[in-house]
Amino acid sequence: MTFAEKIRSNKFVVTAEVGPPKGTNIKDVLHHIELLKGKVDALNVTDNQSAVMRICSLAGSKLIVDAGAEPILQMTCRDRNRIGLQSDLLGAAILGIKNVLCMTGDHVSAGDHKNAKPVYDVESVQLLQIVDSLNKGRDMSGNELQGATDFFQGAVVTPEANPLEPQLMKFEKKVKAGANFFQTQAIYDMAKFKEFMKFARKYPVKILAGFVVLKSAGMANFLNNFVPGIKVPQELIDELKAAPKGTALETGMNITARHIRELMDEKICDGVHIMAIGMEDKVPLILQKAGL
Amino acid sequence: MIISKKKDHEELLSLIGNYNSFFLIGCSECASLCGTGNDEAIAELTEKLKAAGKTVVSATIPKTGCQTLGTKTELKKFKEFTDKADAIIVMSCGAGTQSAVEIFPDKPVFPANNTLFLGNMTRFQVFDERCSLCGECIIGLTGGICPVTNCPKGLLNGPCGGMSDGNCEVSPDIKCAWVRIYERQKKIGNLEQMKEIIPAKNWSANQRPANLSLKEKKDKTNEVKK
Ligand code: SF4
Ligand code: SF4
Repeated sequence: MTFAEKIRSNKFVVTAEVGPPKGTNIKDVLHHIELLKGKVDALNVTDNQSAVMRICSLAGSKLIVDAGAEPILQMTCRDRNRIGLQSDLLGAAILGIKNVLCMTGDHVSAGDHKNAKPVYDVESVQLLQIVDSLNKGRDMSGNELQGATDFFQGAVVTPEANPLEPQLMKFEKKVKAGANFFQTQAIYDMAKFKEFMKFARKYPVKILAGFVVLKSAGMANFLNNFVPGIKVPQELIDELKAAPKGTALETGMNITARHIRELMDEKICDGVHIMAIGMEDKVPLILQKAGL
Repeated sequence: MIISKKKDHEELLSLIGNYNSFFLIGCSECASLCGTGNDEAIAELTEKLKAAGKTVVSATIPKTGCQTLGTKTELKKFKEFTDKADAIIVMSCGAGTQSAVEIFPDKPVFPANNTLFLGNMTRFQVFDERCSLCGECIIGLTGGICPVTNCPKGLLNGPCGGMSDGNCEVSPDIKCAWVRIYERQKKIGNLEQMKEIIPAKNWSANQRPANLSLKEKKDKTNEVKK
């Protein structure tokens, strides 16, 4: 079964992500793909994450196809205009890539080529429309394609954005533009996430809750202060602080596993997306702890 | 108005290289309000050029530097001085500078300023960019606030995931343009409009160089030049 078939048949799906390296040595990323491929239903490949130049997500996704697993090609609008994006999408289709995640992309000022010209010729909502159109056999200008694509397209949402209403309005636009599934920004407050899900359940889309494992109380404070749309509640920070010396990471993994279990048992959402950010080798353990 | 800023003096000196005598041209409009093309700016540059061993034969402030025809007429009475100068230094925007290039086909013309943006003077001597001249105005769909210009990503359909407590990911000291649009649409009872997907911009309307002639029947704005 493909990722799309699994999620459509209401299986609780699990996705994780790998980040292609900066440079041509792909030893680590191949190792992570091998480690995760049997354990998750699909693997996101980040697209020059944080605007730091690396191997493109298209080539990264091809590595996953070759390894016999299913990639979710992340595509941002920062680096390519509408011609480049469509051309890469057609290329992805012929390389056997079935899932694409449409995103706006961090601004170049966040990355390692700060003098670059940011593109944003189109943005996430319009990119979803483009994918929808390619699936129907036409390009963005309405020209007929020799062979349509068949992408399962998704988008991202930040359930803890403040103010929230404009973010929810954008979510509605993404649904209208053809998004089939959403992966959320990292969530930590289960009560708030359940509130968001009450809203999201009104739409015919699948939601994967995003997770970033907390390694320490310091990391939690950092996320709260510097990462938009992430709010770690005080009681989790206290739990990490109370952990005996050297066990904060273990505690963080237990928190993630507990939250995943809760969402699964209460059938709150359709799956989870684990963003390991350098801790890819810990993902199998977290899934095991969550009973997945 | 067009916002300009004086070039770093060392850069200007390296541009004017071995030329020795100059005629200075300011501008009484935008560049005067920006302090880059008014009497004070001319006096300052004159002093600096003298200190660098250069001569300023004369200077003038035309009414509107980018009005090429009028500026040409105004400059006629300075012919005696402009003839004497090795080169012209223009202290206005890039448009005014290129008026001078057209007016003086045989003389080197140098810009004294960097031209920054189309700005609103929001407080005295404080300029903010509100419109980036995209060629096809969409602010009728966004509560009158321009996301093309006010959002560093130019997003047309709502805030990005980088918005943080209402502020912009790229410049945390400014409010997210989409939060401003949302608040205004709400205030004026127009929130429904924010639910409509705005299609990708037609950038062909932004083709450079743009041109508009009110004399010709056909509107040639932004038409691709053959
Ligand atoms: S939409 Fe275009 S024309 Fe209208 S204010 Fe913005 S940049 Fe200017
Ligand atoms: S935070 Fe708002 S203004 Fe800043 S880039 Fe994102 S959408 Fe644009």
